[in-house]
Amino acid sequence: MAALLSLTGVTKRFGGVAALDGVTFDVDDGEILGVIGPNGAGKTTLLNCVSGVHRPDAGAITFAGIPLRGLAPHRVARLGIGRTFQVVKPFASMTVRENAAVGALFGASRLPPGRAFAAADEVLELVGMADKRWQPVASLTIPDRKRLEVARALATRPRLLLLDEVMAGLNAVEVDEALDMVRTVHGSGVTIVLIEHVMRVVIGVCQRVVVLHFGQMLAEGRPAEVLRDPRVVEAYLGERYAKRAGSAPTSPPGAADAS
Amino acid sequence: MSFSIAPTAEGRRLRRLLLLIFLIALVLVLLAPLTSTDQADTMGLPELVDRAQLRILTTIAMFVVLASAWNLVGGLTGYGSFGNVAFFGLGAYTCAVVVDTHRLHLPLAMGIALAPVVPAAFAVLVGLPLLRLRGHYFAIATLGTAVAVGEVVKNIEFLGGATGLFPPILRRADLLFLYLMVAAAAIAVIVTRLVLRSRFGYGLIAIRENEDAAQVIGVNTTAHKVVAFAIAAALSGLAGGIFALWNSFIDQSLGFSLDFNIQMILMAVLGGAGTLFGPVLGAVVLELLIQVLAGRSDVAVYAQIGLGLLLAITVLFVPRGIVDFLGGSSRLSWAHLRRSLRETGV
Amino acid sequence: MTLLLQQIVLGLLVGGVYVAVAVGFSLVWGILNIVNLAHGAMIITGAYLTWWLFATYHLDPFLSLPVVAVVLFAFGYLLQRVLVNRVIRAPLFFTLLLTFGVNLVLVNLLLLLFKSDFRSVTPAYSGSGIGIGGVQVPYIRLAALAVALLVAVAVAVLLNRTRTGAAIQAVGADRDAARLVGIDLRHVYALTFAIGAACAGIAGALISTTQAITPTAGEPYTLQAFVVVVLGGLGRVGATVVGGLLFGLIETLGQTMVPGLGAGWANAIAFAILVLVLVVRPQGLMGLGRPQ
Repeated sequence: MAALLSLTGVTKRFGGVAALDGVTFDVDDGEILGVIGPNGAGKTTLLNCVSGVHRPDAGAITFAGIPLRGLAPHRVARLGIGRTFQVVKPFASMTVRENAAVGALFGASRLPPGRAFAAADEVLELVGMADKRWQPVASLTIPDRKRLEVARALATRPRLLLLDEVMAGLNAVEVDEALDMVRTVHGSGVTIVLIEHVMRVVIGVCQRVVVLHFGQMLAEGRPAEVLRDPRVVEAYLGERYAKRAGSAPTSPPGAADAS
Repeated sequence: MSFSIAPTAEGRRLRRLLLLIFLIALVLVLLAPLTSTDQADTMGLPELVDRAQLRILTTIAMFVVLASAWNLVGGLTGYGSFGNVAFFGLGAYTCAVVVDTHRLHLPLAMGIALAPVVPAAFAVLVGLPLLRLRGHYFAIATLGTAVAVGEVVKNIEFLGGATGLFPPILRRADLLFLYLMVAAAAIAVIVTRLVLRSRFGYGLIAIRENEDAAQVIGVNTTAHKVVAFAIAAALSGLAGGIFALWNSFIDQSLGFSLDFNIQMILMAVLGGAGTLFGPVLGAVVLELLIQVLAGRSDVAVYAQIGLGLLLAITVLFVPRGIVDFLGGSSRLSWAHLRRSLRETGV
Repeated sequence: MTLLLQQIVLGLLVGGVYVAVAVGFSLVWGILNIVNLAHGAMIITGAYLTWWLFATYHLDPFLSLPVVAVVLFAFGYLLQRVLVNRVIRAPLFFTLLLTFGVNLVLVNLLLLLFKSDFRSVTPAYSGSGIGIGGVQVPYIRLAALAVALLVAVAVAVLLNRTRTGAAIQAVGADRDAARLVGIDLRHVYALTFAIGAACAGIAGALISTTQAITPTAGEPYTLQAFVVVVLGGLGRVGATVVGGLLFGLIETLGQTMVPGLGAGWANAIAFAILVLVLVVRPQGLMGLGRPQ
């Protein structure tokens, strides 16, 4: 399958610290890729580099063959990459429906105002927020705000959706519901890159996983294998657990639900 | 005391009724000045509006333009500029230079037609660096721009230097300027409405609500901001151009008046920043208030103190503007006031 | 050469006043995130208070500094506690409007009380100075520089070495966390603003000795305070000192190098510096904070 998104040697420094150092991997068209790593590993920086918020100091990023490095965020969005933020950023004084509609007005969608609201309704249906569409944002719960964030990004008609810790702060039931939403979104034909800490999610929905540690690639492969890799366990939990993980059955002790 | 027009079916009917009353009143107010023409005289109609009142009406119309223009950048986009008077002044000076007999000496209509152009070009030029700033920095930088431009203009002989410029005096033209200014006001309101319903307008509001989010969903924030700035500049410049001709005189203290500057901001905020009719309402209410204050005392000081107090009252008690009570979701009651103070206070 | 040296010395002396002008402004901005558009009015109020004490009781302007500081402190505390505290969590723009309103009221009250005639404070030693190696250093300006630096040091010591200062810095860093550890926000906010007002008052007292004052003479100082803070950088007293002295130097040297420059150009120069710094180095020369 062709690579939709391709990173080669991506490096980004802040001051003297390399937040990303020579990161190289591909995202295949139609897959769900997980990006994991301990806090400070550079996951959000990676997202920011792809979506145009940061400009990498070295390396190349291509999307459907188009080089992304140096493009402004709105250009990247227009090419068909959508993203959500870890701390959600809704348009606070608008209703749910209007938030989604704004997404449909811009991005790769660029519908005229007349059709944008119908598109918004479709997207809200997809993420399960259709019954709340007239509510003002201020009255939404956290899980719903996250859904709205995803809906707004979806309304821009992306080919690739970058989700930044969309499960953070959700309880077990809410995580299950969010997992369903991710599967539904993926089913509608969107390639997804998922930054996550909740291992249950990573194992449950990701086809492949990439592990970052101190800005560098640590491991890459199928979730079950990667999570058993002693280097990965050591990065998250330290040497002691790494030794134990060598003889563990399917997932390392304590690594599940490390959120 | 409690007063609200909530967005229920009954509320909407009431709001439509209010709007109708407002429009009828507007038409009457705009037709009344015609009673001071010669034709009205020959028809035996009483003169309903005298010269002083004509001046007030024209001034109100001017501020409708200025407040609406400010609203585009400050209210819709969330970039509260403290220097829009610079565009007013540039428009006034452009018109004055264009029609001046010793300078370009072009017809008056050309003066008005060109008045929006120079400010708009200036807005694009300074907008690109300035609109990268946010919050306090943007406010003060725009204030500094207005002050600096005024200083520069005062020192250029071609622009009249410290004395100013004297466009030709038009006799018996009060009505003409009233209707010119009203036309400009109508343009300002129509432009605002068109913007509010367009993709461009939604982009501006998105920038106000969350600029980072707006960027990643595909809004070209720089282009949006600069265009809004240019439109505001063009409208303000138009008002300035008409003012220069109406007043038959323009100098730095008039064209770049910090008084005008703060008044247009207060009008937009008092009326309701970000709304369509907020600036209109604010211009009417505040200008009438100012005229009342100015009439009661010949000491400008009291009017200024009144203005300062009004600023404080607006910010504390009516931050979302009068329009919010007339069709928004707020109720004018003590409970509401206490609640909003609790939200914004510490 | 002596002329250049004279200009540099004068620039530093003028810069001293700018340091005094900007210290309070920087504190209020840095901790409360309030750009106080009434700052100039508070400065000129301090100037008028000094003048009044001098004209009525023949009190030396430098001796009336404590009085002016206390009066402005009380005024600032009340203003913040009663008014500004109520809108501090509203969008930034509203505090700008509110302080602008306070500015209008203050300046016009002064106009009512004192009319717009120019006043000046001229103690006996006004014209004299000392000569060091061919450079004339007026006593008054030297004293003004000394006072300004003392005020800056005092504020720095207060912030860094006292419990109150720690509370102030905590509130500036994270309002909610400060509240959680038991800091009375309303009081600390009012205290911070009061200190800023007191500094403004002191600056006004110094200004009354170096120039003629009129109620509207405070306006340029607000913009200049802003420029000094942007130039030096927000966050540290030392940055404001550097910014103030530098600003004084630029202004003085600028006026000698371009003789045709009238008084009105001071504003234009200030603004040009502002835009230059914001475009080239937004965090200022020594700044800690993010510019936006």
